[in-house]
Amino acid sequence: MRYYETLYIVDPNLENKTLEKTMIDIGKELEKSKLKIINHRIWNKKRLAYQILNQKYGSYIILQFEGSDLSKLKEFDVWMKLNNTILRHMTVVLEKKPAIYVEEPTAKDQPESETSDDKTQNGDSSSSGDNNDINKDKKPQKEEEG
Amino acid sequence: MALQSKRKFCFFKENGINDIDYKDVKLLRRFVNDQGKIMPRRITGTSAKMHRKLVRAIKRSRAIALMPYVERGAD
Repeated sequence: MRYYETLYIVDPNLENKTLEKTMIDIGKELEKSKLKIINHRIWNKKRLAYQILNQKYGSYIILQFEGSDLSKLKEFDVWMKLNNTILRHMTVVLEKKPAIYVEEPTAKDQPESETSDDKTQNGDSSSSGDNNDINKDKKPQKEEEG
Repeated sequence: MALQSKRKFCFFKENGINDIDYKDVKLLRRFVNDQGKIMPRRITGTSAKMHRKLVRAIKRSRAIALMPYVERGAD
């Protein structure tokens, strides 16, 4: 079993619904090829380093999956190329199994740092022994009822 | 006065980085010049092993338009 990652760029002018639909379509196509999806999420909307099909911006989407049949992967690659909504895509092999992505809640945590290192050194070497003689005599109480 | 040579070191080994991600553009930008060319390891001091990984990551990054193939250098 090998792990793969496909990073693809989608037209940034697509509406959210259309984008979701595209993602679902890609997910379905991948499952058709018997490849198991691990992560499928929108990474970022970025300015492209160079124009692709006269587009300056693009929505990057990460798709991580696992599979063993390489011929199925080629079919998926061809399908991605023919898809007009995808500007560009690239599939790479991952060395390790990717961790399942969990969306972090957008809460601002205030860092609290309280460090108090008080070092007190006493040069007294007097030992005070406390002798507590506690003798407890417990007598078991048994109640016998005959 | 004797000139002191500046010690070169591998950035990745110093920072304990073993795998280079092609999506980490901020890191990769350190190793290209103003024109977008990959800097030689005799200048960056990167170890041979990590330089090979670095080159692969930069080329992948260029292919997916995260980094430019050519950039207009600062005059």
